Amino acid sequence: MGIEFKDVNYHYTAASSQVYQALSNIDLSINEHGEFITLIGETGSGKSTLVQHMNALLTPSEGTVRIFGLDINQETLKKKRFKRNPIRQKVGLVFQFPEYQLFEETVEKDIMFGPRNFGMNEMDAKHKAAEMLKVVGLDESYLQRSPFSLSGGEKKRVSIAGILAMEPNILILDEPTSGLDPQGRDDLLKVFYDIHTRLKKTVIIITHDMNTVYQYANRVIVMQQGECVFDGAPMALFTTENVKKWQLDAPDIIKLAQALEVHFAQKMDVYPANLEALVAWVKEVRS
Amino acid sequence: MKNIVIGRYIPGDSFIYRMDPRVKIIALILWFTAVFIIQEFIVMIGALIVVIGLLPLGRISVKRVYLGLRPLMFLLLFTFTFQIFFNRGGDLWIDIPVVYSWLTWSLVLGVVLMWFFTKRYIRFKLAYFLFVLASILIIFSQVTWVEPFATGAFQVYEDGLRLATFILLRLIIIVTLSTVLTITTKPTDLNLGLEAVLKPLKILRVNTEEIAMIISISLRYIPTLLDEANKIILAQASRGVDFQDGKFKDKVIQVISLLVPMFIISFQRSDELANAMEARGFVPGATRTRLNQLLWHQRDSWALTVSVAMVLLSISLRVIL
Repeated sequence: MGIEFKDVNYHYTAASSQVYQALSNIDLSINEHGEFITLIGETGSGKSTLVQHMNALLTPSEGTVRIFGLDINQETLKKKRFKRNPIRQKVGLVFQFPEYQLFEETVEKDIMFGPRNFGMNEMDAKHKAAEMLKVVGLDESYLQRSPFSLSGGEKKRVSIAGILAMEPNILILDEPTSGLDPQGRDDLLKVFYDIHTRLKKTVIIITHDMNTVYQYANRVIVMQQGECVFDGAPMALFTTENVKKWQLDAPDIIKLAQALEVHFAQKMDVYPANLEALVAWVKEVRS
Repeated sequence: MKNIVIGRYIPGDSFIYRMDPRVKIIALILWFTAVFIIQEFIVMIGALIVVIGLLPLGRISVKRVYLGLRPLMFLLLFTFTFQIFFNRGGDLWIDIPVVYSWLTWSLVLGVVLMWFFTKRYIRFKLAYFLFVLASILIIFSQVTWVEPFATGAFQVYEDGLRLATFILLRLIIIVTLSTVLTITTKPTDLNLGLEAVLKPLKILRVNTEEIAMIISISLRYIPTLLDEANKIILAQASRGVDFQDGKFKDKVIQVISLLVPMFIISFQRSDELANAMEARGFVPGATRTRLNQLLWHQRDSWALTVSVAMVLLSISLRVIL
C-alpha cells in the first residue's frame, strides 16, 4: 500500500486574512511499486502543495492522506506523540532548489545527513553515500569536495543522492531537471527510470517538460487550480481535445507526427508512443 | 512563522491610515514625550483611555493590538514584579512571613520545572504562569514544618504596587502606539517618512538616504527571507530533521542545517539585488526623484496640533498637580 488521498482539501490564510484554496477534492491512489508518475500543471496549480502532502510535511485541512497505513488528517495534529519521521524516510522528497538543503562541509557528509537522521550507522551511511553518488553520475573524487564549490547541475545531483541514500520506497522529485543542459537532463531521467525499473520503486516527478511525460511516464496527473483534472496514461492525455483544453505543449514526437500527417495528407489513429513506432508508420504510408 | 504581528502592516482605511507618515512618526515621538512627562497615576490612566480611544477612531481591531502585546507579556510581568519588590515606601499593604528551608526550595524548584515542561500543553499560558507564581508564594509561606535556615517576609508596599502599575501602564501605552503606527503604515511609507524625519541629520554629514535605503531593503526582504526559511525547514524535514524529538547534540546539527543554507541564500540574494540595482543605474548617494511624493493635508496639520497639545497638556498637568 502506497499513498492514498481521500477527499483532500487544503486551504491556508494569508496575512490579509484572505483564505486561499490550494487543493480541492483530491482523490488519488499511488502504488508503492511500479509506477512512474509525472505531475504537470501551471505554476500555482498546486503541484508542490500536493507532493508536500505525500510525505506529511503538510496536513490536509479536510480529508485524509493515508501514507503506508498511517492516516494524516486534522486528528493527527492533536496527537502530541505522533511521529512523522518514519513517513519521510519511506517517501523521499527532493526539492527543486538544492540550495535549500546543502549545508555540510563535504559532499559525503551531506549525503550522509539524511540516513544518519533515520538511524543508519556511520559506516553504512558512508558506503551508501559513495554508492548513491555513483548512481547520480558523479565519481568518487566528489566525496571530499565542498558542496558549495559545485556547479548548479552537480549540486542538484548531490541533493538527489542525499535523498536516495535514505532508501525511500517512493521517490518524489520537484522539477529535478530544471536548469540542466539537455545531456544532463537525459542522464538524470535515465537514472530515475533505472530506479523505477530495476528497484521497482515508484517515482513521481513534477515537470514542465512534455517529452519526459511522453517518453518515461506510465501515468500522468494534471493539476489545475488546485484540482486534479486528469489522471491516466500519457497516450490518453495528448489527444487534440485535451491539448487544446488545458493548453498543453505537445511532446516533440507528437509535433513531428502532426507535421508528417500534413506532409503525407493522412491521419493517424493514435499518435505513436516512440520514434520507432513513428518510423514504422511512415514506412507503412510510403509503401 | 505566519503569526508574527509586531511590525506588520494590515491593510485598512481610516483617518490614521491616511495620515502622512512623516506626521505619524513625529506624532509618535511627541506622544512618547508626553507619556514620559506624566508623573501622576490618574493622568496616566487618562492617557491610556485616550490611546485606547484611538483604536476605534483608526478602525484598528483591538485584538490585533493585543496580539502585538502578547509576546511582550512576559517582559511586562517581569518588570511589574521587580518594581513591586524594589520600591518600599508608603503604607505596608501585604505582609506574609515566609520560611526558607530545604523543603520549600526543593518544592519551588519542582513547581518551576513542572511549569517549564508542561507550559506548552496548556492553553491559557498567562493564567498558568500566574497560578505558578501564586503556588510558589503559598509554598514559601505555608510549608513550615521543616526547620528553616532562614526566615523572611513577602512584603508589598503601597508605593511599590503603585509604581509598578504606573510603569506597566506606560509600557502598554508605548507598545500600543508603536503597534498602531506599524499596523496603519505601509513599510514603504514608513521608510519615506523616516527619511524625511531624519533629514536634519544631514547637517551632521549623516547619509540619511543610504540609511533609508538600507531600512527599506531590509523591510522588503523580511517576508522573502521568512519564505526561504520556511522552504529550508521543509527541505530539511524531508531529510529527517525533527525538532520535537532528538538529543541535544542532534539538535545543534539540525539548527546548523537550517542556518547554513539561510546564510548562503541571503548572500546570493543580496548579490543578485546589488547587480539588479546597478544594472538599472543606481548610484549610491545620488539625488533621486520619487514616484510617490508625500502630500501634506489639513488632517496632518490637525494631528500635529493635537499631538503638540498633548505634550503641553502633560507639562501643565505636571506643574499643576
